[in-house]
Amino acid sequence: MPELPRPPCQHVPYGNTGGTRWGSGKGQPVLTTHAPQAAQAVTLPASLDEAVAALAAMPAAVPVAGGTDLMAAVNSGQMRPAALVGLGRISEIRGWQYQDGHALLGAGLTHARMGRPDFAALIPALAAAARAAGPPQIRNAGTLGGNIASASPTGDALPVLAALEATLIIAGPGGARREIPVSHLLAGMEMLRGGELIGYVRVPLLHAPQVFLKATGRTGPGRSIASVSLVLDPARRGVRCAVGAIAPMPLRPLDAEQWVASLIDWDNNRAIVPEALTAFGEYVAAACIPDPAPAEDGSVEQLPPAVLHLRRTVAALARRALGRALS
Amino acid sequence: MSNDTATATTAEPGTAPEPPPHGLGVSLLPAEARAKTEGTFPYAADLWAEGLLWAAVLRSPHPHAHILSIDTTHAREMPGVRAVITHEDVPGAALHGRGKADRPVFASEVVRHHGEPIAAVAADHPDTARMAAAAVIVEYEVLDPVTDPEQAFEAEPLHPDGNLIRHIPLRHGDPDAAGDIVVEGLYRIGRQDPAPIGAEAGLAVPRPDGGVELYVASTDPHADRDTAAACYGLEPERVKVVVTGVPGATADREDQGFQLPLGLLALQTGCPVKLTATREESFLGHVHRHPTLLRYRHHADAEGKLVKVEAQILLDAGAYADTSSDALAAAVSFACGPYVVPNAFIEGWAVRTNNPPSGHVRGEGAMQVCAAYEAQMDKLAKKLGIDPAELRLRNAMATGDVLPTGQTVTCPAPVAELLQAVQDFPLPALPKDTPEDEWLLPGGPEGAGEPGAVRRGVGYALGMVHMLGAEGADEVSTATVKVHDGVATVLCAAVETGQGFTTLARQIVQETLGVEEVHVASVDTDQPPAGPGCRGRHTWVSGGAVERAAKMVRTQLLQPLAHKFGMSTELLQITDGKITSYDGVLSTTVTEALDGKELWATAQCRPHPTEPLDGTGQGDAFVGLAFCAIRAVVDVDIELGSVRVVELALAQDVGRVLNPAQLTARIEAGVTQGIGVALTENLRTARGLVRHPDLTGYSLPTALDAPDIRIVKLVEERDVVAPFGAKAVSAVPVVTSPAAVASAVRAATGRPVNRLPIRPQAAVVTATQ
Repeated sequence: MPELPRPPCQHVPYGNTGGTRWGSGKGQPVLTTHAPQAAQAVTLPASLDEAVAALAAMPAAVPVAGGTDLMAAVNSGQMRPAALVGLGRISEIRGWQYQDGHALLGAGLTHARMGRPDFAALIPALAAAARAAGPPQIRNAGTLGGNIASASPTGDALPVLAALEATLIIAGPGGARREIPVSHLLAGMEMLRGGELIGYVRVPLLHAPQVFLKATGRTGPGRSIASVSLVLDPARRGVRCAVGAIAPMPLRPLDAEQWVASLIDWDNNRAIVPEALTAFGEYVAAACIPDPAPAEDGSVEQLPPAVLHLRRTVAALARRALGRALS
Repeated sequence: MSNDTATATTAEPGTAPEPPPHGLGVSLLPAEARAKTEGTFPYAADLWAEGLLWAAVLRSPHPHAHILSIDTTHAREMPGVRAVITHEDVPGAALHGRGKADRPVFASEVVRHHGEPIAAVAADHPDTARMAAAAVIVEYEVLDPVTDPEQAFEAEPLHPDGNLIRHIPLRHGDPDAAGDIVVEGLYRIGRQDPAPIGAEAGLAVPRPDGGVELYVASTDPHADRDTAAACYGLEPERVKVVVTGVPGATADREDQGFQLPLGLLALQTGCPVKLTATREESFLGHVHRHPTLLRYRHHADAEGKLVKVEAQILLDAGAYADTSSDALAAAVSFACGPYVVPNAFIEGWAVRTNNPPSGHVRGEGAMQVCAAYEAQMDKLAKKLGIDPAELRLRNAMATGDVLPTGQTVTCPAPVAELLQAVQDFPLPALPKDTPEDEWLLPGGPEGAGEPGAVRRGVGYALGMVHMLGAEGADEVSTATVKVHDGVATVLCAAVETGQGFTTLARQIVQETLGVEEVHVASVDTDQPPAGPGCRGRHTWVSGGAVERAAKMVRTQLLQPLAHKFGMSTELLQITDGKITSYDGVLSTTVTEALDGKELWATAQCRPHPTEPLDGTGQGDAFVGLAFCAIRAVVDVDIELGSVRVVELALAQDVGRVLNPAQLTARIEAGVTQGIGVALTENLRTARGLVRHPDLTGYSLPTALDAPDIRIVKLVEERDVVAPFGAKAVSAVPVVTSPAAVASAVRAATGRPVNRLPIRPQAAVVTATQ
């Protein structure tokens, strides 16, 4: 066979299904890349204060915990952080502790951990939300703090934290700690400042039934169409409810909460007349998805069918949630 | 991996070693099963070459726009960028396309869909390539997109070829016939994406002779090679397509919008060029199932016998023709389903829009009409007060009946038998009967389902699909079988896409030659063409070619022996590598008989010819038909509208079971794909822009969404014209299962359910409904 001129580049493809013609190849060579930017710096601090210090030292760095949202954005090229501060090795934020009637949850708690029975005994609604939050791979990686920081409207933990009126403990430079109600952060009333990290989430231990319900379009794990979290606070004879996924942040139907709390016979097994459950559902739904304001001529525009369906869904979820909490 | 290790892993410890199963009719494991399970099987995305460059394709962000200018200066100047190509750099044919050459390699003056390729870049790092592609400055004049196929007739032509791709006005029987009972309906089917588990990837390597080799997961390598050669302005011999591992193909999986630039970049740079598409590019680039609008009117007599079917079927082909013409032919021909319909008047159109491109996806055309005609049968049953299954039985087609195309059904068509089988199968237990089992409610284990709001529904559907290309397509395949040293090798360009062709080829050769060890060579275009892997054609024609070649080798092997002993070759048999005569006088081994020789034979299989549908939609257009009956049981939460498919019982006409394990897997996969069509899979667009082109926004069925699939009966009535009598099995469950699920949801809720996928609000029962 005549010697053919060599192609300008050496090439050894491997892995065509037969593998015979090209031999088995040389094994996979190490992918050496000349990245167009400087190599990314990854810091792995071992404590919250070290992490805050690392962020302060590199203002362009982005903190990453589970990475379920962040890494998808990086891989798709939407985000190219100059440096990463990995929070996975900070053991102090991966568990929880008790503090005068409250649980102090580390922001690094994974959904998988929160879904376990011991956690469910403490904060049942948060455990239910954690179990509903996507497939096992996501739940193993995604964290409570990440859920709050990415503040996706469909974040499953968010309505639970809103209903529980949780408080965030924010770690700042120099060991500083400050507290923000979770609803303030989600509503944008107070923001994280540069170099700050969500350290802990303080949640009251209510010792009463709590429910998280989520409507999805499928049987397998999926994003919620609407979700409702409802917790009872027997000490204060209160009902607190939050509706997630239908607005940029969880919504609290405060009037409906107060109204239904007044109907519950707190001293008699928390009994309630059955009609009140349906009425509560309608009340919550109408509060969260109000009718359009009447036009000048007094005519009221009908909501589009998809919105009406969403309202019916919220009503059914709220009714079921209250029913389950009181049963 | 050899056959031995495959079977060794399945052998139970402690039992006597049984001879490994071989031949037809046994559950031979695929040779690559272990590598695939362990994750070591190489796919196109794993390819590597020394000094390779990375490619990226710039795609249109608009569904419809004039391109005023393309400025590649900045992109070319970026360090690390080796080539930037646009429509000006295509040396050969500017247009290509599967059905019809109407699609530009790169858009030059007009972009016609979101994601249409405009330029491509090769650089020394994938990120550089992507950034350079983004740095190509394209000036657009954005135009109003045509996104409603009904508007396409009146709209300005989107393409020089016009907006109407094909129109079939099928007329069969008496137009004045009318029935006592008439039901009408309007149905919409969404856009399913084939969403292969591995996105498109490929490697192009320049050849010393000025040609190029494409390493891609092509399912039709020869057609892809011819397209590529035409675009590169090269002779087909100088372009070689080497097929890599195919990570899932339920459609024409490869988007040539990346294959063609890949080769061009390799030719221009003289270096190997690799591209791995992101999931987003994959969603935008490859073809989808035709979104379809169907309007039906069924006439029946008082006994429920169908008198006439009138239908209008409108397929949204997207911007380019692709195989829409074939999909339309299937939709129109099977518009009445597997029922006896004496009079049929079906108008079908495939039109151009600025929506994402449509093309071949398993069961194309047939699936959309099945959802509609089965909805009509449910309506008819309700109006007549007849049990829906009984109504279907009264109209079921059998061998000898005539399709609306005028073609007589000559193959086995055990439609009534299939329906009877699923009807007689016991229904799954109700949760109240088995309280010890945990009840998976609609909405999932952590969902909001409440038992009190759940209604159960049972629905039926019958479906049919054609096998092989229709309307005169030359469905030929060529295979070569070689035997040397007691080991057989099959060379055939039929691509293993997961349908099990390589396993089948091994089984055929084992059966015919009695040789245990059979290898199937990898596929490239140096082999003779075997055609595309769709509509069950490789089981039929490539399997047939392998069998013929193996038989020719057998004759070559036995002829000298037969001659020596003065008997015909038919009196000799080969089992387990030993040749024996009927009387036991002769006994030798294959290896001895070969005596160091190498025996080769090449054969072709070409099924009987078909003819195109004529001006009134008449003609013998199909080689063979396959049928299936499905009974679906669903649970619906009637307040939230969430649906869970509890069980699908299926009976199918398979001709002959060649590999029971693979057959089961194919049917289960098909049914699950159908569940996706029925409940979740719809690639949504807003004014032509694809929304959420990712696997979060596009919900594929997961294990929790998949129901219990009961294969109740496999009717093995051999199709005499098919090799081995076997029918294709993958497509017909996809065609039928969405209709069955919709029928069951109808039964549970009493709602009409005329749209797929079924949206929750369509399955809600309120006090007023």
